[in-house]
Amino acid sequence: MYKDKKFFDLSYYKFTGSWAWILHRLSGLALIFYLSAHIWVISTISKGPEGFNRVMGVLASPLFKLLEIGLWGVILFHAFNGIRVVIVDFWKGSLNHKKLFYIMIFIAFALWVAGGYLIISHM
Amino acid sequence: MSKEKRVIKILRYDPANDKKPHWVDYTGEYDSDSTILDVLNEIHWKIDGSLAYRRSCRSAICGSCAMKVNGQNILACETPIHKFKGKIKIEPLPGFSIIKDLVVDMDLFFEKLKKVKPYLIVDKPLPDKEFTQSPEEFEHIRESVTCILCGACTSSCPSLWGNEDYLGPAALLRAYRFIFDTRDDGANDRMDIVNDKNGIWRCHTIFNCMEACPKDIKITEYLSRLKVKIVENSI
Repeated sequence: MYKDKKFFDLSYYKFTGSWAWILHRLSGLALIFYLSAHIWVISTISKGPEGFNRVMGVLASPLFKLLEIGLWGVILFHAFNGIRVVIVDFWKGSLNHKKLFYIMIFIAFALWVAGGYLIISHM
Repeated sequence: MSKEKRVIKILRYDPANDKKPHWVDYTGEYDSDSTILDVLNEIHWKIDGSLAYRRSCRSAICGSCAMKVNGQNILACETPIHKFKGKIKIEPLPGFSIIKDLVVDMDLFFEKLKKVKPYLIVDKPLPDKEFTQSPEEFEHIRESVTCILCGACTSSCPSLWGNEDYLGPAALLRAYRFIFDTRDDGANDRMDIVNDKNGIWRCHTIFNCMEACPKDIKITEYLSRLKVKIVENSI
């Protein structure tokens, strides 16, 4: 007998639900990475105000502002798809899960644009 | 009926000679409304008799011929080839061990099914005649009883690809079917079995099972109702 060892079948056709799940996992990993980096940045305050100000100076650069806009998008996707998963699991959302996905994406996108505009206008 | 030339790619594996499965191309002229099973029969009878695949009723009721075609689990006997454009890639069900060519090992699948006690458990005295339900009571399980145990759903589930001990949608749906059967008294027992680390909470509502089900059973919806019932029971 032959058993394929791969844990994910990349060749399987992706439907809306699969994409929502894959993106949810990836955005979750991205948020774990962000939180670790965030804790490290905050921890520099233990080395006195100079070190902390230096790190904060780097983070004020336009590149990090752009990354912040990206982070805002990742948070919104993860949050709103998370709400969708709860509705699917506990509130009969599975009957309209595709529609629900696009509604959530639309709300997340609108908030992303609004928040992104605020970030850029404060640059 | 118009005949057209189609390229059929089949993932072949012979345990006696091959280390890994490999693709073999077959080209032939087929009626546009031939099914995948017709094509496999044609290849088996006229080109290569060594091609192994399961089939029985050819009416989408026995559940033998589930396989993956162009990236999606289907029943070969009910799926016409005109549904697919270009090359048709036929593979065995993913997530299961391959015995030979398109024949997969279903032992684990049926073991998991047995785990959820897929039979009516009745504590009260049985009635003399039929054990009836009202149409309203039957409505809860009407769709879930139509499952033919083809394995298309369980094999399409990414949670199962990552963890072969996961019960999978077919077994969980069968648990739902008995837990929500008003005649059954084994609900608490079954809910304990399903409420396990390899049980229902590994369902991440990916919906591949619902897309794959040849009987269009709203599997994820029923698993969600089961989740709600388990949560309600434990508070």
